[in-house]
Amino acid sequence: MSEGKEFVISSGDQLLKATTRRKFLAAMGMGGAIVFLPSVFTACNSDDNGVTGVEGSAAQFKLDLSNDTGILNYAYALEQLEAAYYTAALGSAGFAALSADEKEVLSDLQKHEVIHREFFKTVLGSAAIPTIVFNTTTVGTLTASRDVLLKTSQLLEDTGVSAYNGAGKYLTSAANLLVAGKIVSVEARHAAAIRDIRDTTGRLFAGDDVIDDAGLDVKAEPGTVLGNVVSLNVVSSPLSLGTPPNAAIKTADSRPVPTPA
Amino acid sequence: MENQTIIDTIDPELVERLAIRKAEIDRGSWASPGIIAALAIGSVPIALAALSTDLYGQAPSADIKGVLDFALALEIFEDEFYKAVLGISNSAAANTAFAPVRAQAAAVPGAVATLQQIEKHEKAHRATLLTAGATNVFNLNETSFDFTGNRGVGGPGPFAKATTDLAFLLEVAQAAEDTGVRAYKGQAAKLMTSPTTLEAALRIHSVEARHASRIRRMRRLAAGAPTSVRLSGTVRGGERAAAGATDAGTINPTAVFNALDKTYGAGSNSTNAPSESNTTQAGVNILTLANANFGADAASEAFDEPLDRADVIALVQPFFIPPIS
Repeated sequence: MSEGKEFVISSGDQLLKATTRRKFLAAMGMGGAIVFLPSVFTACNSDDNGVTGVEGSAAQFKLDLSNDTGILNYAYALEQLEAAYYTAALGSAGFAALSADEKEVLSDLQKHEVIHREFFKTVLGSAAIPTIVFNTTTVGTLTASRDVLLKTSQLLEDTGVSAYNGAGKYLTSAANLLVAGKIVSVEARHAAAIRDIRDTTGRLFAGDDVIDDAGLDVKAEPGTVLGNVVSLNVVSSPLSLGTPPNAAIKTADSRPVPTPA
Repeated sequence: MENQTIIDTIDPELVERLAIRKAEIDRGSWASPGIIAALAIGSVPIALAALSTDLYGQAPSADIKGVLDFALALEIFEDEFYKAVLGISNSAAANTAFAPVRAQAAAVPGAVATLQQIEKHEKAHRATLLTAGATNVFNLNETSFDFTGNRGVGGPGPFAKATTDLAFLLEVAQAAEDTGVRAYKGQAAKLMTSPTTLEAALRIHSVEARHASRIRRMRRLAAGAPTSVRLSGTVRGGERAAAGATDAGTINPTAVFNALDKTYGAGSNSTNAPSESNTTQAGVNILTLANANFGADAASEAFDEPLDRADVIALVQPFFIPPIS
């Protein structure tokens, strides 16, 4: 024990996080001890893979972005995140503290994101990634007050805009590109609305923090987006980037999506 | 003597641009027969030399240039419109015409700042499109527009009230931004052979959507628009109802409503360009989706629709004095 590190696993979900898995393996390599708290075992059901509420293997959550199906699954993952967040938000203390006008916005966003999620699930059919499990503790923290609710919403919507703007070029089917285009402008409308709620200047809806001197909105490559999503600590499922998209047409990211101050 | 590969001697940034250009050609972008032959043979020095020439002598393909020229015309229109509203147009007549509504905007907190922010973006889009290879093919400038919608003949047109009434001005601005969103969406597929151009267009497209959202919110919060104009900035329903227009002016209300029908309705090819009220996406009926049954309003709001070039041109032609095509 003195040579290695003790690594405590208190919930099954932790095992499926990339950071936890890395530490887990590192601890194993150093001859450290892995301590499974009883909660891990009590959470086990006989009909799943040993972790309550988590369905799907790491392989199923590994995105292959070398084809349109993978890009649409990437969009499906982001829409799952947004839909789960706003659905949780509607019952939160943060939502209760909003004005009637502000509630209208969040209620609309929840409907639109759930529609996007179910739409992708339907069009992807058997090729769809499994349903993502979210960390309810983190989501609870991110909806606990009006301020954190609006800031998180802004971050999610700007992230969505940057993701679609960066992924469109990888789609090889015009029909798929059109679908992505029909959705990204809705995400941009959302982003502007949330920003406007938080604004006193009349400029934040399309602020200089997201629109550059060339008049171009944020864009980010999938690897950047997925890294940022994982760092939010809201995704419990082992969502990861497997095969990257076509490297020959990769472009530089814009300025990062700002974390609302 | 140390061996050095050709690639090592080339600026890394150039290599990256060459690689992107090769990928564009692989995906069907226009390139000279010599380049295609060199790439097919797999002769690195020949292909490299040919690609370098291609890159720096590169003009966009005819299809892409057509999209860029069209987009530039729309951006010049939008930019000159906001310049006139703000009183910074090179046309003194345009500045004078919008003076009454400008005074009203100044009384609404944040309104002038918003209009300035939007104008800044439209101006930047003009420059960005020119850099990307667009040409001002219709020779448009500050004198090329009749913002009352009468092509500069026979007195003030149906939209003249935009110069004197803030609520009406914002209705028109919303329609202009939403038309821009639909126009870019309708052109995206034509840019697929040039990933860099497509990405730039997508990044302009989402800026236009942000503009439209903020204008909707201004109308709801400060200009008496109905609740069908969503505070989420999204488009509910189609045709004139989607505009949430409470006022069509007095000069020719029918013409205003007809224009709003085209702004938010189906294009001449309704398969390519359905009405904004559309609730079927990629063959999926949104109204019968499991776990997402929120009705037709939400279903229409959740997706924006494209509009084809000819429909956009028909819509905006009354505001352009020269003929555009």
